Amino acid sequence: MAAVASASRNKSQSTWALAWRRFKKHKAAMVSLWVVVALVLMALLAPWIAPYSPTAQPTGEDLATKYFQGPSREHLLGTDDLGRDVLSRIIYGARISLLVGFVAAFAAALIGTTLGVIAGYFSGRPLRFYLGPLARAADGWKPWPFALWRVTSWVILYGLLLFLADLAWRLAGPNVQALFSGATSVNNILSLLGLVAAWGALLAVGVWGLFGQGKVDLDVVISRFMDFMLTIPELPLLLVLSALLRDTQGAAGRWAQAVFGEAASVFIIIAIIVLFGWVGTARLIRGAVLSLREQEFTTAAQALGASDARIMFRHLVPNALAPLIVNATLAIGGAIITEATLSFLGFGIQPPVATWGNMLNNAQVYVFDAPWLALAPGFMIFITVLAFNYLGDGLRDALDPRSRL
Amino acid sequence: MFAYTVRRLLQMIPLLFAASVVIFTLLALQPGDPLDELRQQNPRITAEQLEQLRRAYGLDQPIYVRYFKWLGRALQGDFGQSRTYATPAAQIIFAERLPRTLVLSGAALLLALLVAIPVGIFSAVRQYSAADYIITFLSFVGFSMPIFFLGILLLFLFAFWLPEQIPGFPKFPVQSVSDLQWYQVQTGEVSFFQYIGDWAFKLILPVLALSTIQMASWTRYMRASLLEVLNQDYIRTARAKGLGERVVLYKHALRNALIPIITLVGLAIPGVFGGAVITETIFSYPGMGRAILDSLIDKDYNVAMAALAFLAMLTALFNLLADLMYAVVDPRIRYS
Repeated sequence: MAAVASASRNKSQSTWALAWRRFKKHKAAMVSLWVVVALVLMALLAPWIAPYSPTAQPTGEDLATKYFQGPSREHLLGTDDLGRDVLSRIIYGARISLLVGFVAAFAAALIGTTLGVIAGYFSGRPLRFYLGPLARAADGWKPWPFALWRVTSWVILYGLLLFLADLAWRLAGPNVQALFSGATSVNNILSLLGLVAAWGALLAVGVWGLFGQGKVDLDVVISRFMDFMLTIPELPLLLVLSALLRDTQGAAGRWAQAVFGEAASVFIIIAIIVLFGWVGTARLIRGAVLSLREQEFTTAAQALGASDARIMFRHLVPNALAPLIVNATLAIGGAIITEATLSFLGFGIQPPVATWGNMLNNAQVYVFDAPWLALAPGFMIFITVLAFNYLGDGLRDALDPRSRL
Repeated sequence: MFAYTVRRLLQMIPLLFAASVVIFTLLALQPGDPLDELRQQNPRITAEQLEQLRRAYGLDQPIYVRYFKWLGRALQGDFGQSRTYATPAAQIIFAERLPRTLVLSGAALLLALLVAIPVGIFSAVRQYSAADYIITFLSFVGFSMPIFFLGILLLFLFAFWLPEQIPGFPKFPVQSVSDLQWYQVQTGEVSFFQYIGDWAFKLILPVLALSTIQMASWTRYMRASLLEVLNQDYIRTARAKGLGERVVLYKHALRNALIPIITLVGLAIPGVFGGAVITETIFSYPGMGRAILDSLIDKDYNVAMAALAFLAMLTALFNLLADLMYAVVDPRIRYS
């Protein structure tokens, strides 16, 4: 009887209540949850709890004594090379780190989920992608977004062909002109042959473009794109992108300043972290959707006439939520490390804005004379990332008990 | 298998082409062209001369034309001149910097493997023991530790604090390059072991810093992978028919548990090369990562392009290698 009673009591618990119960058993994750809550509060309340302004430099007499002060009652974590209070900079730095971590992880999860679910759901079902202006096909102009795309794709195709024809001329043109003006050499003849072959191929594609129609498997496109993203060396490319977008002399940098406005460097860093961050989530979701779409509840939804979008986002994504949440939590820690790495190398958020990464960059030089300058921000990054990793671990145990790691 | 390898190699070509287009474009868009510096160094240079130089460097042409010209030369092994060092970029990257990074990354990967696999096995076999808890905790600490903080911490402890506190403690160098040159060994000035010993001593800290993340995460994966295998039915069967625990563990369980680790290691190798940027910066080690960082700061884009193209190729190759190794060690996987 007792067993029956407890079973009926358990029945009233939702999935989330059960998960919370499992989560509470994971002690390290519970501690981490409190650490994260404390960090968030610290970031939100920074102006009220920081003893000094993070950028205030000392003024008045005896300036020399105010730099590189060790920890003391006035400055609990000492002062840095410009006499600024380290504790206050740490507290304000939490704002940047957490902002970057949360926003980058959330955006990467959003983009990754969308692309992953599209790739998984449409895998093996090629969609109509190109329909030439003279192609004979039923429903050639329906639905209306396709009609729009159909015309756009002509412009793209013929624009591309024109561009390639021009490129071939620029590369081979001088040699061909030399050939016709009498300079006969192997190189010049090869250039002529190459030019003829290239233009011939482009012409053939152009004719095909009038009548042809093409289908494309979105899974192949997205998967190839993910392979491509994984081929690019991530950290060096982040450095290149950061240098490009933060430099206000160049066109790209000016554009980024205009788009992101005041806090440009923070949002540029977030954007480039997201650019590389979505791939992991997309792979995860694609794998999950490939198996979920074969299950009965998907067939049932299809039989009821649910639209593709509804099946994808109301039926498939919620069923892949558990690994998604775990992944996003771990991604927060990853994004915080990436931001700190970029700032540490001098390619991230620039001083005087205080971030843990650029505080470390500064402190590296003085590590033997003023070790507290390096220890405090480094320790904060470490604790924050550790907390998010343990949180992810606890969430995995709670939400996804069958997964092994 | 052969057909699969060939197909994958062919697929790599468009992938690498696209990657090099993107990298080249991003570098070409960077503000400030190579002539800016010339203008500053030599204020009397005329606009005409600048225009001539611009044409000589090919800077008057659009980016895509420059790219194809670069590609044509790069395929023949010519990556252009370095502006900073006034030597061919290929020589700087492949002859000077790459061997150093190979030594550093290779040693770090080896150390990570040598520690992670035995420790992971130990931790899995003694699941829920005190040692297991400590190892699990330490591996969490290890991969939550930002490599730059670990590097600074190691420098502070072993190059400054510990030698000061404990008399006779070896003082590790701040600069991780040995002064000894290989020709000194050849002329007999220093012995071979002196040479190796000096390099090894100076490389200990950077290798430790670079290997920690991989060490920690591989330990964790090794433990999880072995635990999963140990719960399989065939392990119970092996035990039931009276096989010794050693045979069960090393002949039956470990071989299967190592399969996912091989993929992980293959995929991590290019990341270690790219991640060496940070380690090489902290320990003033003139390797390839440092070259990438410096070339970006100095706007020496031929060097950056050579290094990044090489890294992209390395990544694609190791992705393929990881997949192939997977099929070699696991007969259940067949590529067709």
